[in-house]
Amino acid sequence: MSGTMSSNDVIRSTAIYQRTTKDILLGILKGIGEFFRLMARNRTGFIGFIIVVLYFVVSFLGPYVIPVDKETKVTRIFEKPSWQHPLGMDHEGRDTFSQVVNGGRDILTTALLTALISTAIGVTLGALSAVLGGGIDTLLSAFADIFMSIPQFPLQVVLAGFIQVKSMLILSLILAILSWPGLYRAVRAQVLSLRERDYVEAAILLDLGTWHIVFKEILPNMMSYIAISFAFSMTGAIYAQTGLVLLGLVPFSSHNWGVMISIAWTRGAIFYRDSAAYILAPVFTIALFQLAMVWMTRSLEEVFNPRLRGRA
Amino acid sequence: MSAIAERDKQLSSSGLDIPRMLRLIWSSYYVRQAAKALFTIFFVTTLIFFLVRLMPSNPVERFVVDLMYSQGLSRQDALDQARAIFAIDLDAPMYVQYIDYLGNLFKGDLGVSLLSRGTPVVEIIKAVLPWTIFSVGTGLMISFTLGILIGTIIAYRRESLIDPVVTGISSFLSAIPGYLQAILIIVFLGVQIKINGKPLVPIHQMRGAYSPGVQPGFTWVFIKDVFFHAALPIATYILTTVGGWTLAMKSSTINTLGEDYVTVARARGLSDGRITTAYVGRNALLPLASQLAINIGFAIGGSTLIETYFVYPGIGSRLGAAVGGRDYPVMQGIFLMITFVVISANLLADLLYSVLDPRIRIGGGAR
Amino acid sequence: METTPTRQLPWSKGQARYALISVRDMHIEYWAERGQVKAVRGVDFDIFPGESLSLIGESGSGKTTLGLGLIRLLVKTADITRGQVIYRRNGVEQDVLKLDPDGLRHFRWQECAMVFQAAQSAFNPVLRIRDQMYETVKAHRPATRAEVNALASELLERVQLEPSRVLRAYPHELSGGMRQRVLIAMALLLNPPLIILDEPTTALDILTQRTIIDLLRALQNDLNFAMMFISHDLSLAAELANHVATMYAGRIVEYGTVNQIFYEPRHPYTLGLIRAVPTVTGGFEDLSSIAGTPPDLIDLPPGCKFHLRCPFATRRCQQEEPDLIHIGPEHAAACFYWQEVERQADRPWEEIKAPSEGDV
Repeated sequence: MSGTMSSNDVIRSTAIYQRTTKDILLGILKGIGEFFRLMARNRTGFIGFIIVVLYFVVSFLGPYVIPVDKETKVTRIFEKPSWQHPLGMDHEGRDTFSQVVNGGRDILTTALLTALISTAIGVTLGALSAVLGGGIDTLLSAFADIFMSIPQFPLQVVLAGFIQVKSMLILSLILAILSWPGLYRAVRAQVLSLRERDYVEAAILLDLGTWHIVFKEILPNMMSYIAISFAFSMTGAIYAQTGLVLLGLVPFSSHNWGVMISIAWTRGAIFYRDSAAYILAPVFTIALFQLAMVWMTRSLEEVFNPRLRGRA
Repeated sequence: MSAIAERDKQLSSSGLDIPRMLRLIWSSYYVRQAAKALFTIFFVTTLIFFLVRLMPSNPVERFVVDLMYSQGLSRQDALDQARAIFAIDLDAPMYVQYIDYLGNLFKGDLGVSLLSRGTPVVEIIKAVLPWTIFSVGTGLMISFTLGILIGTIIAYRRESLIDPVVTGISSFLSAIPGYLQAILIIVFLGVQIKINGKPLVPIHQMRGAYSPGVQPGFTWVFIKDVFFHAALPIATYILTTVGGWTLAMKSSTINTLGEDYVTVARARGLSDGRITTAYVGRNALLPLASQLAINIGFAIGGSTLIETYFVYPGIGSRLGAAVGGRDYPVMQGIFLMITFVVISANLLADLLYSVLDPRIRIGGGAR
Repeated sequence: METTPTRQLPWSKGQARYALISVRDMHIEYWAERGQVKAVRGVDFDIFPGESLSLIGESGSGKTTLGLGLIRLLVKTADITRGQVIYRRNGVEQDVLKLDPDGLRHFRWQECAMVFQAAQSAFNPVLRIRDQMYETVKAHRPATRAEVNALASELLERVQLEPSRVLRAYPHELSGGMRQRVLIAMALLLNPPLIILDEPTTALDILTQRTIIDLLRALQNDLNFAMMFISHDLSLAAELANHVATMYAGRIVEYGTVNQIFYEPRHPYTLGLIRAVPTVTGGFEDLSSIAGTPPDLIDLPPGCKFHLRCPFATRRCQQEEPDLIHIGPEHAAACFYWQEVERQADRPWEEIKAPSEGDV
């Protein structure tokens, strides 16, 4: 199959691309529907899913209900939890609970962005690499191999240290750039296997036909795998950005859970008995979210690899 | 002469057949992997070099400008100082800088620290790297051993109660980020839970690599002390990675148990012990060896924060400090070192894998 | 030690107490989501020392399950619900199904070896062949490496392989046909009186098949072991067997000598099988496959399990399941109308007329 496209091909493929965009959307909707069905089958997965949804609702809608407490009350520093303030007060006498409610927005948005970018890059490059083959494929695969062998977090630390991270978008880009190889490999393998099979027909098919096959057949079938990969991307992004915040690398644009932990560390809240709520609240919040994501995805994995299941 | 006969003659002629020699060398799996590793290291060093120089907010440039303003130096003087610290000549064209940079790397010169003026980065690394390798290495070894033992056991006992419990705990542990687990250990075991007024874990005494007053050396006292101080980081590494090993070994063992050769081994009347070790165990371990590489990179990455929280003087906490103080030469040097260590570890893991699995070893010409 | 003497099968070639192995009333079931699969539903046969029995059937007939059941190598979801497997050697009788784990381990391979269908993956990929030979012997008796190497070399030569090359090789370095032959050599290591072969040539090309079959015949001639040969291929049975048993839906439906089965089939299923075997000289118009599919083993229909595909079937067949009927010396068939089969044996399948109720 030739690796180059003439300008006519490009024009034609754009038209097909527009038509297949609708197909992609339909495919995604179908994938989401299947996702819900799968979730209902597995108990821990379902619980995880509910928790994740709750997190999103609270983090994005909660701030309108419970605005963050900005009032410094010197007399109530590190106050213990009470009915009015379920998580006590922080180092400036501000209500911890409101901070927790408000603290998720940045983190979840960045996580979503990172996962989106990373998934988009991985899927596109993977399909491209498999369809075009040849030098591009070798080059991209080599890149992916190299990126996968570089220790991720130190690189993210160094990058964040060298680059001024001024916005969530830049942070998401940094995180995404290092996490695409996984999905790239999987998509590439799938598309390649199809290409091998239809090799003879591919020679007869137009280049358009192959793109068509990729978007109509392969990707919708991989939707669940892509969904799992998306979820892992999110957990990875949260791990990374929290870590970066804790190192003081990402500017404190507003309150978020990572910032709370960072402040607790610098203000020594970790070592005081009374400030336990303040340090534990964000830690548990992040930990619970990661757990819920893992439950959700592990159960998805089990559904696709029946051998891991016990006897019914 | 026919083409075959001619080729025959070519091949059997004596003398240096360079292309053939090269092909032979390349066909060795070990050589290929080593070459890949070297190339990755080379790629990373180049990447860092250009990243630093070409960033819009070029830290090197910024440093020079800083010096000029804060100390009123001329650009030339500032450049001279910078050269001493960054070990490169900033005015020369980019490719000359690059060659200098590579040359310095070969000589083992990674520049001089900004924060601790005058201390070569290499010295800093030499002082801290061993502690990280020690703690991460010990942690991974224990975690690996525990993980494969437990994983094998629950793979054999799939209907029992232990399976969902262990699987659940493993999932749990591997989902929570390591640095958070470190904080939880400090908060619960070190601060909150008190027995007779003393905390369960004397975290303050466990700071540092060894207690003041203890002489380094191969004495039992020193070794005990070293382990005492490394206990918390090691425990955290174990907690974060043991879950992954357990689950991986469980699934790998389950897959292996379904293999034909296990059934045939039973038909041959081999003892259960033999089958579990040489047939199931060895084959189930193979996919895990490739996981080893990922785990090493992951653990060293996590060391950054974990060492900071436990105040353990390893390369991770040093990186954290360098980053906080914008000490670029140290940051760069440590990152290169970490990458080198991780990639070397990957290479070793790869070689280990090829020793364990004879199917990998034969490069181009099996039969 | 058996206190009650084993039930005699009238069509067996000799007295049960001289048989090497006697299987009685074997029932094997295994668990599936939809219900219990009755894979083997009451099988009896004897194999005498040095003899070969070929077990022929379609996939799903239960033949492989039966073979695995004899050495109790079934998966965890399977259960031997009833039966006896009486093994006799040196005047001592034991029921294999009642052996304790140690006894079973020694029984396997030393008394009865099994050559599997999937020789492709029958060997541990990380051990060399010579190590696997050595540990096979060591598991049963003390031995030195030198002794095992010598023994294995001799056996490898018998199966026409080069010992020096094969012994130090890893399994993936050998071809499929070579691995099959190594497995046969390994099966002979302990000189077992009985060898079970499950589709030993199915995955191989036709030339290698021929080699293996000739090999087996020669080996049996030289070493005089008893052989149970499981296959779906009737023509292979013709080459290697003394007796043939055709199996359908978990039961033996016909048992006889090779000649009887091929020239005097008395069960409709056997008849159909014979008809389906192409001969080099025969034309294609003589070939016919048996219409229909095997029954559902979870929800078995009443009566004879073959009756839906059987041109001889009557109402009686729908209601009663026939047991094996002794119809000649060493010949038995599980069909009420075996005499009809004899009468219409030469008619084309579509022209066969079912007997009316009054017949026979």
